[in-house]
Amino acid sequence: MPLTRRQLVLDGLRVSLLAPLALRARPVPAPEAGERVLVVLQLTGGNDGLNTVVPHRQDAYYRLRPTLALQRSKLHALDDDHGLHPALGALLPVREAGRLTVVHGVGYPDPDRSHFRSLEVWHGADPRGTPRTGWLGRMADRIAERSGGMPALCVDDGELPLALVGERVFAPALPDESSLALAVLPGLAGERDGALTVADGATGDLAFLRAAARASYDAAARLEQALARGTAADYPDSPLARRLRLIARLVTGGFDTRLFHLTLGGFDTHAHQAAAHAALLETLARALAAFEADLAEGGAEGRVLTLVHGEFGRRAAENGSRGTDHGAAAPVLLLGGPGTGGPRGTAPDLDALVDGDVPYTTDFRALYAAIEHDWMGLERTLPIEPFPLR
Amino acid sequence: MSATLRAWRPALGAWDRPAAAHLLRRAGFGASPEELEQALGAGLDATLERLFEDRTPPELDGSIQALLAAESLELLQAWWMARIVAGGAPLRERMTLVWHDLFATSHEKVQDVRLMHGQNELLRRAGLGDFRLLLHGIARDPAMLVWLDGRSNRKGHPNENFAREVLELFALGPGHYDERDVQEAARAFSGWGTEGRSFVHAPEHHDDGPKTILGHQGRFDGVAALDLILAHPACARHVARVLLEAFVAPMPTEEELEGLAGTLLASDWDVGRTLRVLLRSELFFAPRARRARIAAPVECLAAASRALGARVPPRTLARRASAMGQALFRPPSVKGWEGGRAWIHAGHWIARHNALVELARQAAPSRNGFEVLRDVLPEEPPALRAAVERLAREPSSDPAAIAFVLTAPEFHLY
Repeated sequence: MPLTRRQLVLDGLRVSLLAPLALRARPVPAPEAGERVLVVLQLTGGNDGLNTVVPHRQDAYYRLRPTLALQRSKLHALDDDHGLHPALGALLPVREAGRLTVVHGVGYPDPDRSHFRSLEVWHGADPRGTPRTGWLGRMADRIAERSGGMPALCVDDGELPLALVGERVFAPALPDESSLALAVLPGLAGERDGALTVADGATGDLAFLRAAARASYDAAARLEQALARGTAADYPDSPLARRLRLIARLVTGGFDTRLFHLTLGGFDTHAHQAAAHAALLETLARALAAFEADLAEGGAEGRVLTLVHGEFGRRAAENGSRGTDHGAAAPVLLLGGPGTGGPRGTAPDLDALVDGDVPYTTDFRALYAAIEHDWMGLERTLPIEPFPLR
Repeated sequence: MSATLRAWRPALGAWDRPAAAHLLRRAGFGASPEELEQALGAGLDATLERLFEDRTPPELDGSIQALLAAESLELLQAWWMARIVAGGAPLRERMTLVWHDLFATSHEKVQDVRLMHGQNELLRRAGLGDFRLLLHGIARDPAMLVWLDGRSNRKGHPNENFAREVLELFALGPGHYDERDVQEAARAFSGWGTEGRSFVHAPEHHDDGPKTILGHQGRFDGVAALDLILAHPACARHVARVLLEAFVAPMPTEEELEGLAGTLLASDWDVGRTLRVLLRSELFFAPRARRARIAAPVECLAAASRALGARVPPRTLARRASAMGQALFRPPSVKGWEGGRAWIHAGHWIARHNALVELARQAAPSRNGFEVLRDVLPEEPPALRAAVERLAREPSSDPAAIAFVLTAPEFHLY
């Protein structure tokens, strides 16, 4: 009989009660596959890849973007041909540490320019079908089968993204630190602990609720401990930074969650893009830099891989409103993980656009396949050759 | 007499405080202390009749136009929460929520509070009547036509979204139809759309060619397709399952499904008449049905605040329900809320705990732990009673004692 979601939730709660409190006390450099963490940060709206990783040697770039092109002298050099947007300066230390990887031209065949549909493609990893589960949810199912726990968390207050929908595992949403902040009353905790461990032979839902309540109070206590941990990392004041800080604290505080999903919105820059896009990238870079520093301080930098992607890039040519419309492929950022440094994949050739769009040179599913197998240590399920992470 | 027949005859067990509280929880959203006393005195039949009444305070309907003008989903959520907590029409609000979970439509995509309110009123108006009318109504409901893309389902460019879900989720369930039925039903529904906020049938977009749906052949339109679906034997069982899971217990037995489907058909699809049989049956009051499922957030909050008489703004309650995983008008998908144990995970349990501690703080001056235990857990589990007694020995311990009762897992079994 297949495991039911209910059993898994119950088993997961049992397991998470037994989970070690101090994973970070273990040696860091060579994490076991079972300790590795994936953070997926979605740039919702479709990030302008050409103004994120700028191909400044290509004349076509300046031709296509008469008002939006970024001057070569202002860019942060990535290699001879590419520079990062000026607002991404906060990521330079991460790059110098060899922990920022740019993968050029990531997309999929027959790109769809609908936000909804393209997100569905990225989340479901099934460009032709109508997926009902997501790639993270399907991994969470398999992690739960193997080791229980709370394998996936949605660090957002919106709807659960399709990416996190599995057949069996229910990925909880934990939008902020306060969502595990416990209201206390004198005398309550003592009686509560007694009532949750009363030996009356309860089974079924009552036993489940008691285990769930114990695990939740335990999680709240662990979060409190994690929050109490002093940190040198100086996070900027943004919702994204607060969510990344929460993830860093969960990871370094011994939570068993392996998959995190969060979003940064506002990238649908159809008009007057320059200032808005720069502000978004600065928010992104500063939050990610603080996150990497925090993980390093907690000794966890070797076991967290962060994937930054949007549902599509934007058109190569700017539109008539000093903005950009929905496009196709775009670079993906990888932070941490095995680490490589330099850019990877084949950079787009702006003289060989397809329907005015940057065609993909790396299928996003090849990245997923590498993450699934090489990073998370799971059996390969995607029918595509993995794109080596290093 | 067979076990099956016995299950449907009127309950003969004691009409005591736990039995009355069970009926008021399941058929409504719990009771105030006064309502519970009244029910105990009045007996099962009178209490059941009371549950069917509609005495919703008129100001709740009076406020709706101004509220919709604000185009705020949060205000609409608060409006429904206020109706639920007011308790004027317990069973009607209960069924509105049951149907919202079945015909799950989310504002997330519809993005129009007037359409969401319109659908909610349809569920309320038709929810205790003829299920066939409800299904026909929901198929033409403008929010549904947006939600499941019915309005872009046109001749030559079929959109199967609604056709698939009506077969899979709303009326039959997997295994009773195939992909061909989905495709052909989609063609039958083509041409149904919206104009402004109203339903419109556009004959030029309707595919009137011959179709085969569930083994029948003809030039079916949407009305005919729905009638074919309703005529399928799995449909009455599907509705019976929804009612049994909401009112009795998860995973109903074959006998229970057959029995209640038979009752539904014998009553000519009348949901109210079917519930009159179900809610006074031995099955409903059987030990297997008591505390047989985990309370949904709205149930948990409404039952607690009604028992405490706490005057919490409905907007706050609606917001708390969202934090606990049940944002009204925003079910996570067309499948509705997963329910059961999926309601509970670390973040959600802590949200429950915090909401109930806050309710306890607000109610404490006028209530104590013993009263609340008797009202919300009339079974008075000995371990909980002993803990309340210990807490009562401490000075000014009422908030902690009330909070203890409300955060005890026993209370979260509905």
